[in-house]
Amino acid sequence: MTLSILNISWQTLADGLELGAIYALMAVGIGLVFGVLRLVNFAYGQLVMAGGFALALASQWGWPVWAGIVLCFAVVLALSIAMDVLVFRPLRGHSPAVMLVATFAVAFLLQSIALLWFGSLGKIATSLAFLNRPWAISGVDIRKIAIVAVAVAIVCLLLLQLLLERTSIGLHMRAASMDFATSRMLGVRASRVISFAVLLSGALAAVVAVMLTVQSPLVTPDFALRDTIVVLAGVVVGGLNRLVPATLGGFAIGFATGVLGGALPTNQSQYLPTFVFAAVIVVLLVRPRGLFDFRRTVERV
Amino acid sequence: MRGVPVRSHLEELLGPVALVVGAALLGTLVSISTQTYFTDTLVKVAIVVALYVFIGNSGVLSFGHISFVALGAWTAGVLTVPPAEKPAIMPNLAHFLLHRHVGNVTSLVLAAVAGGIGAFVVGIPLMRLSGLAAGIATFAVLEITHNLLQYEERIGPGLNAFSSVPETTGLRQAAIGAVICVVVAAVYARSRFGRLLRATREDAAAARAVGASIYRQRLLAFTVSGCLAGLAGGLYVHLLPVQIDSVYLDLTFLTLAMLVVGGATSLLGAVVGALAINALDSWLSVAENGTSLFGWHINLPSGTAEIVIGIVMAAILILKPSGLTGGRELRLPRLPRLRPRVS
Amino acid sequence: MLTVENLDVRYGSVHAVRRLSFGVAPGEIVGLIGPNGAGKSSTLHAIVGLAPATGSVRLHDRELLGRKPEDVARSGVALVPEGRRIFAELTVEENLRLGLAGRAHRGRPDFSSVYELFPVVREFRARQAGALSGGQQQQLAIARALVGEPEVLLLDEPSLGLAPSVVDVVFGALVAIKERGLAVLLVEQRAQRTVAVADRSHVLANGELQLTLGPADAGDTEKLVAAYLS
Repeated sequence: MTLSILNISWQTLADGLELGAIYALMAVGIGLVFGVLRLVNFAYGQLVMAGGFALALASQWGWPVWAGIVLCFAVVLALSIAMDVLVFRPLRGHSPAVMLVATFAVAFLLQSIALLWFGSLGKIATSLAFLNRPWAISGVDIRKIAIVAVAVAIVCLLLLQLLLERTSIGLHMRAASMDFATSRMLGVRASRVISFAVLLSGALAAVVAVMLTVQSPLVTPDFALRDTIVVLAGVVVGGLNRLVPATLGGFAIGFATGVLGGALPTNQSQYLPTFVFAAVIVVLLVRPRGLFDFRRTVERV
Repeated sequence: MRGVPVRSHLEELLGPVALVVGAALLGTLVSISTQTYFTDTLVKVAIVVALYVFIGNSGVLSFGHISFVALGAWTAGVLTVPPAEKPAIMPNLAHFLLHRHVGNVTSLVLAAVAGGIGAFVVGIPLMRLSGLAAGIATFAVLEITHNLLQYEERIGPGLNAFSSVPETTGLRQAAIGAVICVVVAAVYARSRFGRLLRATREDAAAARAVGASIYRQRLLAFTVSGCLAGLAGGLYVHLLPVQIDSVYLDLTFLTLAMLVVGGATSLLGAVVGALAINALDSWLSVAENGTSLFGWHINLPSGTAEIVIGIVMAAILILKPSGLTGGRELRLPRLPRLRPRVS
Repeated sequence: MLTVENLDVRYGSVHAVRRLSFGVAPGEIVGLIGPNGAGKSSTLHAIVGLAPATGSVRLHDRELLGRKPEDVARSGVALVPEGRRIFAELTVEENLRLGLAGRAHRGRPDFSSVYELFPVVREFRARQAGALSGGQQQQLAIARALVGEPEVLLLDEPSLGLAPSVVDVVFGALVAIKERGLAVLLVEQRAQRTVAVADRSHVLANGELQLTLGPADAGDTEKLVAAYLS
């Protein structure tokens, strides 16, 4: 069964939703850190890569699935904290240019380390491969991971929403991302809020690593690098300053990339990045706060 | 340039040119195989100087300059591959390019022109942006260029490497090219335009008050730096077989690292950074194949070079963001007056 | 008891505050008045740790100078900053909850004492803070500073941009606050009203304490003018 417009099959639609869900989570991860530190973490994809390699190693050592996932989380969270302490904190207060270049450097550093350690051929993480098999739903084959990814994303986003709205630390984080100086003055502990944002961001990266390895079990040093770049584009287009528009932007670009990538013939889909990035430039020029930012009050980028 | 002593013009030019010429001379003393490292270094100097012209003077970050290097490389490459060889590496080349062939110097000039035009066209919309937005937008330009050049086989080799390009960039051509870039950069920086742009970098409001148009000055700097980047791309394609991924993220990172480590706001910094980092990178690459240092045999695992460069860059950014030169130009010590003042 | 001794604030080559000494006891309002650039705001910023300073700032016996802003807040010193600096996108109640950031508390927070002082804050507690008027936002800012039950309340030009009737409300609340036993340090440009409501008012000019006025001097405008011009 296919949708007649643009030759989109249900499978392609599911692929789009799956990629949209994964990209939405990455967008939140990037947005959380940007909110409190005003820093765009180019190295976010490397966190996902590290998680992927952890899963691959666990798979290689014959560990059970749950153990692999625990290792993945442990590695990613540890790496996130290291990044925060060694790079983000010392750079706080520097110009945006220095911060951009620094996270760019960290991204390349981590990629090079992975290249040295695992080689360019990468490793395979097979533990969750069973989710890649299809479910038959009313005569259509949809891969399980598509549904799992969407479900996991929704659960994560709901939990995050509860955390931000209902808890003190969530309130402190929201306030810190709006006006850091005043929050500190009121007694909000800066380092606690930043650490919390970094850990949440890391946890999301670990979730993304688990889901991405299902679809692409081969983990290479540039695993998730392209995804990070596309998600960043989506976040900027959606609206970097606030979490909801950023998440919507990430979802939108993931969905669009997934659907168009599947629906368009190859000789057109290979130019997809050009259209995506041209859209980024247009949005930055015309509506710099983002397409989904409908606030009346203005905040500086 | 009225009112500024000639001496300080020369001083600012002296340091960078001396370093470039010195590196070139050093290159003549080593074996032919080692010479390629020096030649490669000089081409990188040209690229980093191009980056300085825009980033150093405007204070705006650009991740997209390697696009103009790529444009220059593509232009010079496509026009100098011998027509007999073209169908082999560029089977889908557009008809009007198939039989065009130009000489070495012409190809370099056209490469510079291509880079300049590309920068001008891109700069018209983008120069209104600053800070994070500019960084992301220029990154998008890099991605678009990469995507287009990668798949568009009517204007270049697409995914293939530019083999069969005459290898005219030896030590001398690279050195001349680097010196040209340095001189142009110095002339621009000392000119009224360069000074106006630097004023906007320091205090945008005040600069506007004296009539500087930030947009126009940035566009000018962007275009000039695009020209220089294009020239460097031309030099590059005549040095080794350029492939689309060698003018993409890795080169962007490396050249930005060189600029930042040297000191983003000075021409001397650009040259120092390029020489220092590439020297380090070259030495590490050699060490990866086995070398000896002070009698100790060193054999580094492959890939160490990038890690060390990355650590050095991150360390300098965190510890001394203004770079090795502190963003300053070379100043010679003043000689004491030989004749007493006439009262 | 807040004691400031030989406070010196420098921003690079600018000497904003010179050897300033004064005290604020519980249950009193002390005013800091003076022309623009006199160093009044810098004094407040130095007390809470937002400006580089030397000298001594003690709350009872504890030295506050040199501590991070969040630590000073947790010690019981609350600042109502110039321009209010409320969080426009959060609700009024969330703004109040932020005031508790400096204090550990259990269960539902109790804002009743603050609502008593500022009924308008209770009325709008579910609304977005950005929707409030200037005067209401000022009351919210003070309320937010009070929820953490501080011992010392610092206010930086609370009457700025407010209509006289609203200023009445705010200054009236300050009297009620002092009667609850807090030490209140009030920085203002409206000299007359400040001198009238404060137990003591210090006149600052060029970073130095020039003169101290009492409530009785509120009507004596000539003395005030002389103090400003000196």
